[in-house]
Formats: sequence, structure tokens, C-alpha cells
Amino acid sequence: MNRTIESMWKEGFADDSHLTVPKINDLYNRKSQNIVDKLQSMFAVNIKAIMLGGFIALVVMSLIGAPLLGVYINCLLLPLILIAKKELNKSFKLSKGQSSYDYLTSFHHWLKNSIEVYARYYKIAYPMLVLGMAVQGMYSQAGGEIIALLAEKFPTDITLFGQPFYIITAVVLITAIVAKLADALYRFDLNIIYGQQFKKLAELIADMEELRK
Amino acid sequence: MGSDFYQLWILPFAGIIIKICRAYTNSQEDFEDYYQEVCLQIWRSKDNFNQQSEWSTWVYRVSLNVCLTYLKKSKTGDKHIASDTLPDEVIDDSRAFSSDEINQLYNAIKHLSETDRAIILLYLEEKPYQDIADILGSNINNIGVRITRIKIKLNKFIHQEQ
Repeated sequence: MNRTIESMWKEGFADDSHLTVPKINDLYNRKSQNIVDKLQSMFAVNIKAIMLGGFIALVVMSLIGAPLLGVYINCLLLPLILIAKKELNKSFKLSKGQSSYDYLTSFHHWLKNSIEVYARYYKIAYPMLVLGMAVQGMYSQAGGEIIALLAEKFPTDITLFGQPFYIITAVVLITAIVAKLADALYRFDLNIIYGQQFKKLAELIADMEELRK
Repeated sequence: MGSDFYQLWILPFAGIIIKICRAYTNSQEDFEDYYQEVCLQIWRSKDNFNQQSEWSTWVYRVSLNVCLTYLKKSKTGDKHIASDTLPDEVIDDSRAFSSDEINQLYNAIKHLSETDRAIILLYLEEKPYQDIADILGSNINNIGVRITRIKIKLNKFIHQEQ
């Protein structure tokens, strides 16, 4: 066959009217499968889940006699809601009518930026949560009893904030480890869920950048 | 979606959407999903259309951007951005069009990378190089070079298949 691809295309599609248009099924209520829309709805669900989680934490903590911890957890969650709302609003500026390169790069930038913002939050929030729980534990009745038992078994004259030094040392150590691992844990988790998408996006953008040189 | 919008603004351009979606899918089921997603996104993004370009160019842009970032559900249930770039992943959807030559050509197009598929589809639709560069956000000088390479690849594949 010596026909050019141009002539194959032109003659094959000489009459577009014979193309079979797929049936449209309840398009208006269709759930989008676009990655941007999916992430947007995930962010929106996250905001609601965080608010609900905060409320549940407050109720549960109040019931077990630690209302301050409930308030503390809500204070930690508040910035997360604000971040999620801000990032969600930013995502609505991504127009699918941009050039493919602009669309993919703006999406990629938004995604990377969001991850950085969330990572910074978790780096602070996770250790603060551990610290809050530890402090609550130390000064609760049950915690006090456990510490008294430990102090009896491992007596010491060195105290910090009225507690045996090793308890405070352990709390500081655990908080430091959580602070150190928070960023890595968040990114590891994210990579498991979105690693393939990130790779694919990077490949597409790299290919398009070749065309821009 | 208002059916008026579909009838007036999408249906007359269904040919464009069909041609693009076919190049990024390997089965009738996927094709229908992509087609509906593109229609949905055209409707959703209609307010962003600034009339600086033609509506058909807008349809090309949205269609390509949607196809490039569609989350395809795999057999395992995981969702991932559709990727069919590897030749061994291409399934022969050889009866998608009534013309055997077109089916053969599409089979070859599906062996190209996503970007190359977009370029060749726009080229075959007789879009000027400047328009192709604008739609993809690339440099016009590279478009010509890339098209030459793609055509060589396609011809080679078509002749191998014969």
C-alpha cells in the first residue's frame, strides 16, 4: 500500500456523519473520572471528615474526662481545615481549556505545592498531637497511677515538671522521632496512592517540554 | 447538562471528540466513558471559554486535556491515569470504525506516546502548525520536526502490519 496517512484519514473520514455517537447516560449526574476533579472531591470530603473527626474527638475526650485534650485536638485540626479549603479553592483555577502543557504544568505545580503545604502542617501537627496526648496521659488519674508505679520501681531524685526525668525524656524522644518521621511518612503514604500518577504526569510534562525547546 | 447545550455545542463537534477519544482507548467501553467525560468537562468548563479562539479549538483542547488526565479503572480496581504507551499494552480495537484503513491507522496511532497521538490527530485534522503549537503549548518549530518523525513511525508500523 502506497497511500499516505493523510489520504487514508481524509478518505476514511470524508463523511463524519457516519460516526456513531455514543449514547449519553445521565451526563448531568455523572461522576467525573478526571484526576483534578477526583482530588477536588477528595479534598472536599476530607474537610468534612476532619470536622466530624474533631467533633467526635471532643465528645469522646469529654466522656473520658479529658475535655482539654479534645479542645487541643480541635485546635490542631483547625489549620488543616483552613489549608484544605485554601488548596481546594486554588484547584478551581485550573482550567481544562488551557494548552495541554499549561494545564498539566499548572496541575503539577498545584499538586506539588499542596503536598508541601500539607507536609509542613503534618511535621508540626503529628508531634504536637503526641505531645498533647502524652501531657494529658501524665496528668490524668490513670497516667498518674502508672507513673507512681514506675517511680516506685525506678526511684529517682531528678524530676522535670514534677515528673521523673525518664518519663519526660521518653516523651521528648518519642515526640522527636514522630517529628522526624512525619514528613517521610506523609510522603510515603502519598507515594503509595498517587505515585503512579505523579510519574505519569512528570513523563507527559517532560515530553511536552521537549517540544517547547 | 442542559440537552440544548449538548445539541448545540457538543453534538456538532462529536466527530472531533470521537476521533480523539478513540486514539486514547482500547475498548468500546473505555471509549464511551472517555466520550462522556469529555462532554461533561466541556459543559463544566464552558464559562471559561473566552472566545479568543474558535469553539472547535476549545473542544480539541478540553478533549485532549481530559484524555491525558483521565483516571482509568484497572482490572484490579485501582485508579490510575490512563497510560497505553507501551506497544505490548495496545489491544487491537480493529472494528471501531467502518473503514478498515482508518482502523489500521488508529491501531498504529495507539502505539505512539500520548503527546505524539495528540500531535498527529491535530495534524490529520488539518490544523495549522501554529494551532497545534497553541493547543499543546509547544514551539511551532518543533511541531514540524515531530510530525515528520511520527509519520515515519506510523508508515513503518502500517507496512509491518501488512
